Amino acid sequence: MLTEQTDEQLLAQALDGNEDAFTALYRRRQGPVYRFALHMSGSPQVAEEVTQDVFMFLLQRGRGFDPSRGAVGAYLFGVARNYVRRAMEKSHSEAMMTTPAEDDDPSLVTNCDPVDGIARGQTSKAVWKAVLSLPEHYREAVVLCDLQELSYADAAEALGCAIGTIRSRLHRGHEMLVRKLQSSAPALAGFSSDAARCLS
Amino acid sequence: MTCRDFIDAAEALTPLESGLVETRNEQLSAHARECTGCGKWMESQRLLGNALQVLRARTAQREAGPKVEQAVLQAFRRQGFEPVAAVAPERAAPAAWKLSRFFELSAYAAVAAALIVGIFLGARMWRDQQAPQTQIQARETLVPQPANPQAAMLSYNGKPSERVPTEVAQKLVNSAKTKGAISSGERRQTANRQSGATTAERQGFVALMFCDPLICSGEEQVIRMELPGSASASAEDNGSQPVIADVVIGDDGLVRAMRIVNQ
Repeated sequence: MLTEQTDEQLLAQALDGNEDAFTALYRRRQGPVYRFALHMSGSPQVAEEVTQDVFMFLLQRGRGFDPSRGAVGAYLFGVARNYVRRAMEKSHSEAMMTTPAEDDDPSLVTNCDPVDGIARGQTSKAVWKAVLSLPEHYREAVVLCDLQELSYADAAEALGCAIGTIRSRLHRGHEMLVRKLQSSAPALAGFSSDAARCLS
Repeated sequence: MTCRDFIDAAEALTPLESGLVETRNEQLSAHARECTGCGKWMESQRLLGNALQVLRARTAQREAGPKVEQAVLQAFRRQGFEPVAAVAPERAAPAAWKLSRFFELSAYAAVAAALIVGIFLGARMWRDQQAPQTQIQARETLVPQPANPQAAMLSYNGKPSERVPTEVAQKLVNSAKTKGAISSGERRQTANRQSGATTAERQGFVALMFCDPLICSGEEQVIRMELPGSASASAEDNGSQPVIADVVIGDDGLVRAMRIVNQ
């Protein structure tokens, strides 16, 4: 029943003290928020802290949320963006950015042979490293639109800018990513032949 | 289709979609086949889209741990949502919200400021338009202007000054009209001086300088002085007898007129 309701409806019920509604809202939105923070920072630890901070912030300021200004999802991404930025400002976060977290989840490569899996692992690591090396504005656009699959309008809402700005940042971010990945040609070449076949 | 059109059209697609461009747009795919540069660009976008898709797939199942959920739900059970009144300034709220609120308040403040300035300027302009007319009218009633501009040049003995041209006199009268702003004290003093001038004319004073009403404002005094005999050009005894004279002195220290008493 609760799963069919919108984020705004769940939030309204949670504001009335309905714990089930709040739990449903948390479980629906914590994943995207966590992955956004993870893609932006490259650190699972930072991503967990940011996720907790975002929902604590919602508990503190949730009554001030105005649905006419945007969706709950975009609001949470906007809050997460600010917490990620704070985390990045800490000196130790700079070191984290250059080295993305290892992803050892084997469930993602069960449909391909081990060689493909290794190639995919190398490629995703190279891509993630390239994403983390992007300037913040371009990284936000790439993470939200390409990795979180938000529409341009939703991404613009989360980042507080125009849709045209998102498009131009995305275009520029893609150009920079292509250049960075071409400089690490072995990983990209390995992916283009093997992993593309695996995904098709 | 030009290369520019191709890039513009392809940019509208996300990298994930650009892999499907061949089935979505025949024009795009035809241009990509014909143009080597655009074909390479499209291929690079396709590769990038695939690479990003791999990264997304490998992190799609990543979520916050159960400890985070426990902490958040415990906070909800403990305090729930805080009331709006306790809300402090939003430091972590999205920038767009903060900006929109800022611009909203700024717009209200700007409109209020514009209204205040407009009212102030309007009142001042209205006052400026009204004031000269009333002051000129008041001046014309208090100080009767001579019908002939040359009358302004009359000296104390009632004769026009030969040294001051008529045009200058006309100018002085006009400037006196247009300047307009004369304080009540000045009006009173000017009136006193006018009456003093007629008195002086009657009593035989000789004007020593031209005195415009606007220039020679202020009180005047008549002082009886004893001058050396040489002051009188008509003294036959060549200055042996002192000359007694009444001198009209303005408050600026300049002599307006004088008369010889003992001659």
